[in-house]
Amino acid sequence: MPESWLRAFIAAGRTVGLNYAFLLDARERASWLRGIALTAELSVLTILCSLLVGIALAGLLTSGRPWLARPARAFVELMRNTPTLVQIYCAFFVLNMLLNQLVGGAQNNPLTAYAWAVIVLSTHYGAYHAEALRAGIEAVPRAMRESAISLGFSRRELLAHVELPLAFRFALPSLFNNFVDVVKSTTLASAIAVGEVTYASLMIWVERDNVLEMMILIFLVYGVLTLLVSRLGILLENRLRMPGYGH
Amino acid sequence: MATEQSMTVKAPWSAPSLPPTVLWFGVVALAWAALAHFQRETVAILWQWMPHLAAGLRMNVLISALAIAIGTLLGAIVGALELSHRRWVGAPARGYVQVFRNTPVLVLIFFTTYVFPFEIRLGSLYLAFPDWIKATLGLALPASAHVAEIFRGAILSITSAQWDASASLGFGRSQTLRWVILPQCVKRVLPPWMNLYAMITMSTTLASLVGVTELLESAKNASNTVNRTDFTVLIYLAVLTLFFLYCYPITRFTTRLERKYAFH
Repeated sequence: MPESWLRAFIAAGRTVGLNYAFLLDARERASWLRGIALTAELSVLTILCSLLVGIALAGLLTSGRPWLARPARAFVELMRNTPTLVQIYCAFFVLNMLLNQLVGGAQNNPLTAYAWAVIVLSTHYGAYHAEALRAGIEAVPRAMRESAISLGFSRRELLAHVELPLAFRFALPSLFNNFVDVVKSTTLASAIAVGEVTYASLMIWVERDNVLEMMILIFLVYGVLTLLVSRLGILLENRLRMPGYGH
Repeated sequence: MATEQSMTVKAPWSAPSLPPTVLWFGVVALAWAALAHFQRETVAILWQWMPHLAAGLRMNVLISALAIAIGTLLGAIVGALELSHRRWVGAPARGYVQVFRNTPVLVLIFFTTYVFPFEIRLGSLYLAFPDWIKATLGLALPASAHVAEIFRGAILSITSAQWDASASLGFGRSQTLRWVILPQCVKRVLPPWMNLYAMITMSTTLASLVGVTELLESAKNASNTVNRTDFTVLIYLAVLTLFFLYCYPITRFTTRLERKYAFH
């Protein structure tokens, strides 16, 4: 049944001059579908890791201790003011090379290109999340903080039970904006030959010369993924809304 | 008296209040001075490659300037169309913005590079369509979508009372836009527009993936040619430094403008 649908789809494409014949080739189809799966996997993994990095950095930025806040600020500025691709190259061609020499050869190196992509994108977007969370923490009303302190909350409790829950709600829209950017940024992993959807499509159009056809599919894949993420954001915003705070 | 006193008493830690940009430039200069001292030989090789890198950086600046120029022109038009009251004008404009904002820039660069022809025929004249111009267009497309959103947001941020007031004075819709609304938008548009420029500048490195010899590509070539561990480390550090020195002042200036215009 699906095979006949595929044939019908390819025939329909051919009538408007689009060549989707690769869908019938089991090997190419599998590598392309695997590309979509990898893009989704990379997106989810990077979103989660970058959020952890962002929370840690935001904690340092708002700690009130200059010896913690200053280096964190420097790191955030460095991450935000240099191109992501340069960061990926610095990690993959410099840090990875040094690591190879340290462990004695590439065969002993536990970190793959995929792992480096997750690490770099997570730290890069972690810096953006940190800024969003910091703004959220600073938006917590002063009276709220003072009343919590007067009730005997310690600094840690204050952060965990009062500041972070509110800050998270304030930061939610910008966080989800960043998450959409994370999804889009996973294409950069193709630069170090991670076989996500852009790379998989590139391999196909190199062989079949059907750039436009693959481009349409890529547009659709990213359109669906970014739509899912932004819908999830709106859903979460509505679910977590507290009367009187935010909008 | 009280105010005078509070003005003279300064916390000791705020004494060296250098602007962050100066501070950063100082730190970077010191770090490179240290590198030049301890890695004299490698830095000397790097120095030989400097003209090569400078040529690359020129390409980044050229691409980013062209892309923001095209993006701004196109974006202003699309943004105005988005606000049109005619449905068949507004809907396609909004679709355009949605598509180009939600597609990765790299994909758009691949799109313009591989889908557009390598030369354009004008009658009997064949005009070459080099890769760097195609990459520029690939950057200009998302830029125009972002500019359209910036413009739309700025125009909508002006209260509707002003539209009504202008209408009562006999201005038409486009006249109101041209003479009343847009002049007030400049302030609101400037900071996000500069942010966008910094973003585009950083995205110009993506052109290296379609074979444009810009800074990152030059660095990669140099690192492959020299093929020394310490040189590879140093040259990528140099690329990181150059981009930081170019983009950080823009970001700082944007933040300052944002603060300045925050409550007006």
